[in-house]
Amino acid sequence: MANKKSDYIMGLKLGLPVILGFIPVGIAYAIIARQAGFSISETVGMSALVFAGASQMMAAGMYEQGAALIAIIFATFILNLRHLIMSTCVVNKIRDAKPALKLLAAFGVTDESFAIFATNKKDTGSVFTFLGLITVTYTSWIAGSAIGAIASDFLPPVLTASLGIALYAMFLAILMPDLKHNHRLGLLVILTALCNALLCQCLESSWALILSTLMCAGIGTFFVPLEE
Amino acid sequence: MHIEIWLLILGMAIVTFIPRALPVLFVERMRFGKKTEKFLKLIPYTAMAALIFPGILTVDDSVPWVGIVGGCIAGGFAWRKMPVMVCVLAAIAAEFLIYAFLL
Repeated sequence: MANKKSDYIMGLKLGLPVILGFIPVGIAYAIIARQAGFSISETVGMSALVFAGASQMMAAGMYEQGAALIAIIFATFILNLRHLIMSTCVVNKIRDAKPALKLLAAFGVTDESFAIFATNKKDTGSVFTFLGLITVTYTSWIAGSAIGAIASDFLPPVLTASLGIALYAMFLAILMPDLKHNHRLGLLVILTALCNALLCQCLESSWALILSTLMCAGIGTFFVPLEE
Repeated sequence: MHIEIWLLILGMAIVTFIPRALPVLFVERMRFGKKTEKFLKLIPYTAMAALIFPGILTVDDSVPWVGIVGGCIAGGFAWRKMPVMVCVLAAIAAEFLIYAFLL
């Protein structure tokens, strides 16, 4: 019993640095969602049920552009497929836990919680450590979304207009460090952007996005080296 | 309350949970080939690339360079190894200045 508790607390501590990242991004997501026409409860509800930041931002953006629901859901599926690898890795570490707890843990697998849990040196492999970690990430994601959803009503129009860049700025900032060290990956990113621009001419933009994402990831497997 | 948005949320919740939950149900059998693993790892990069372009040109409905300037600022800050949040804030600040003084 005492073990579970101390494992859980260790997880909570591991999650602390993520708060600084999740709250601002949650605010940015919520503002985009509110601009797209989501209510406060819908904005926060999506964070509570989906819990995958990049796809939520993408969904709000696509919804605003009038994309079909099924296209948004399919694009979400594609973008979040990467969690399959991360969840496999996490589940392997917590192999001995009860299935129900494992499912709960799996719900909390995000890029950040995976990265922290996978690289944690003092790891006990306890499911409670991971649950502690995702308690922090989940709470701060929802808190950020709620703050942003409420605050967006009070922002002056010139500021909300300026926030339109937030999504693109975030993606660029995430991509850049990896591209700087991996030129072939940079080439793939440019290729994908051009491919998408081309497909946008003949397809609805959300399907162009899905097609260029899958096609170029496939092409990338032939020439892009990845570490590990 | 929009039924449509809640349907969207529900659909997204389901398709997001599936890849997360599959490894729990098939713990022993989840093994990926090198190529499959690489394909899955590359998806976030290609998805982000496609999300950025050409969408960034429509940040402002009528003035394409508004998005380009913001993107260059964010990219430039990221190149200088600034944290993601700083890059985003810098881009927002640049847009704010453009809207306040130029447009």
